[in-house]
Amino acid sequence: MIDLIKKLTEAYGPSGREEEVHSLLLRELEGHVDGYKFDNVGNLLVWKTGSSGKKILFDAHADEIGLVVTNIDDRGFLRVESVGGVPPHAYVGHRVRFPNAVGVVYVEGETEEERKKNFTNLNLDNMFVDIGARNRDEATKIVPIGSFGVYDSYFYTNGDLLVSKAMDDRVGCAIIVEIFKRAKKPLNTIIGSFTVQEEVGLIGASVAAYSLVPDICIAIDVTDSSDYPKSFKRHSMTLRKGPAIKVKDRASISNREIVERLVQIAEQEKIPYQMEVLTFGGTNAAALQRTRAGIPSATVSIPTRYVHSPSEIVSLEDVQNAVELLLNYAGKGV
Amino acid sequence: MYLKELTELDGVSGNERLVREFISEKIKDKVDDIKTDVLGNLIAFKRGTKGRRKIVLAAHMDEVGFMVTNVEDDGTLSFAPVGGVETQVMPGKIVRINGKIFGAIGYKAIHLQEKEQILKPPSIDQLRIYIGAKSKEEASKLVKIGDYVSFTTAYSEENNRAVGKAFDDRAGCSVLMDIAQMNERYEDDLYFAFVVQEEVGLRGSAVVVEQIHPDIAIVIEGTTAGDDPELPEYQWATHLGDGPAITFMHRGYVVNKKVYESILAVAQKHSIPHQAKRRTAGGTDAARFARTGAGTAAGVVSVPSRYIHSPVSMIDLNDYGNTVLLIRKILEEGEAFAR
Repeated sequence: MIDLIKKLTEAYGPSGREEEVHSLLLRELEGHVDGYKFDNVGNLLVWKTGSSGKKILFDAHADEIGLVVTNIDDRGFLRVESVGGVPPHAYVGHRVRFPNAVGVVYVEGETEEERKKNFTNLNLDNMFVDIGARNRDEATKIVPIGSFGVYDSYFYTNGDLLVSKAMDDRVGCAIIVEIFKRAKKPLNTIIGSFTVQEEVGLIGASVAAYSLVPDICIAIDVTDSSDYPKSFKRHSMTLRKGPAIKVKDRASISNREIVERLVQIAEQEKIPYQMEVLTFGGTNAAALQRTRAGIPSATVSIPTRYVHSPSEIVSLEDVQNAVELLLNYAGKGV
Repeated sequence: MYLKELTELDGVSGNERLVREFISEKIKDKVDDIKTDVLGNLIAFKRGTKGRRKIVLAAHMDEVGFMVTNVEDDGTLSFAPVGGVETQVMPGKIVRINGKIFGAIGYKAIHLQEKEQILKPPSIDQLRIYIGAKSKEEASKLVKIGDYVSFTTAYSEENNRAVGKAFDDRAGCSVLMDIAQMNERYEDDLYFAFVVQEEVGLRGSAVVVEQIHPDIAIVIEGTTAGDDPELPEYQWATHLGDGPAITFMHRGYVVNKKVYESILAVAQKHSIPHQAKRRTAGGTDAARFARTGAGTAAGVVSVPSRYIHSPVSMIDLNDYGNTVLLIRKILEEGEAFAR
């Protein structure tokens, strides 16, 4: 599974440009699905038919946060704005990868005071990207306005921990792939939705469940881990304690019956798990539950350190235990 | 082109009736079907020669403005903005209440202001509308709480530029009307959606998808210019005169890649001047079309407009003409568009 997560996290897939991630997923899923389709907004939906007549949708978003080029100055420097919740500080002196170039992000400052001020109040409005172009025309040929970029970061393992950009939410994508590979003859029909544009406004998840009308939706996403120095003290989530069964975040409250069933299954099967209450943030469950007349929905999360940074850290055990938990849920029924 | 008529009509969000009636009257004989839905959206339909796909062109009828919140003892009116209007653009403006009563938004004369106060924008609590009434009783005969208030700018043209209120989004409405009146049929089924309440949260467009189930939506907007001499050029959103603005991303939505690239390709193919919308702030009904029902591949084309959400907005009439041309050429592509 490590290799799969490496491939998925290193793929390029800012919101609205998920094609590379989708084709990678389709390759990985070949022979493990009964069918697939792309819907009107570009979500990839896959399915494997079960015998119970019930349908469970597992969702993970294919997109990652990034930057988009909004202007190019006459010397060929790019101006960018954020795609999703990008912390500007993560980009200072860091690199951004566009389809045809890698650029360095830095901060303006014509005097010492101004430089100090700009570094303390980081804002993309006074930052720029250097792709080494000589002028506007040259830059425009390589990275035209409207080009999307992502962190230029690589995957590595550190003992049992996995480090990369875009664990949010390629780790969720990897979990779904693994579920499909291992669910040979599922009791319930399982649908995998690899949705677009979660990071900018839950666009994909708002419509993903519309056509296949599942009975239950479970979003699989990352959640903020609170196990590093002076991390958020009102939260409990910790790496290596198992997948987190979300009760609530700022955007949704998980369906109570799904939560209780997940806990019951984890207890029965002795799968490590933890409960999650996140006081901010949200997942695709918020949009999925509002589809049509409403669909019972919940989220299973992977505790993650440094979410939205170029080095998001998860525990391999948590990921594997999430697969166990969800596979059991799909197999045991609703 | 109906810019003069459309911008001089009052149609603050929730009160789009006059705009809707005007549009309906002008285009009803040119379309196969036209109806007003429950929320007040006007939806017209023109059958395609092949009819295998459905394309919606959408523009919002509403404009930003105000609403009367209280009639004060001294006969002045307290009011609140409807949609995003800043207090900087309010003082000293003539307004129209319910399409008939004129009033002035007053503020302390410069002689009465403290020096520090002069540079600060007033708070809405310090502003009142004066309608000439001397008492609450007198004012109450003319207006009531909940009455709509609009800016009153008369449309004018000079040197191929037009000035008026509400180009956001009567410019879009006018583009749609021009297209509807061309009396041409295209391969795809074509819907014109003149929607309500965009400025207060993309509300009208929220019910359009369920009625049409479109494959593609193109939202036509009047958008921020921002080509302000105080701003460096690399911070401009659009520039007047450089052609219709094509959006690749805005708040809450990345424009469908196929639709964005196809719009660009059509502009290039016919050498129609065009520019990228170069800021991502602000949203449009495209986000709503994308995330409603089974979802829609939605794009945005805009007429650049200076000083939007104020009583005087300004557009370049060549930009307007090129927007109409671009939309027409998109439709002429038929099934090849965004394929």
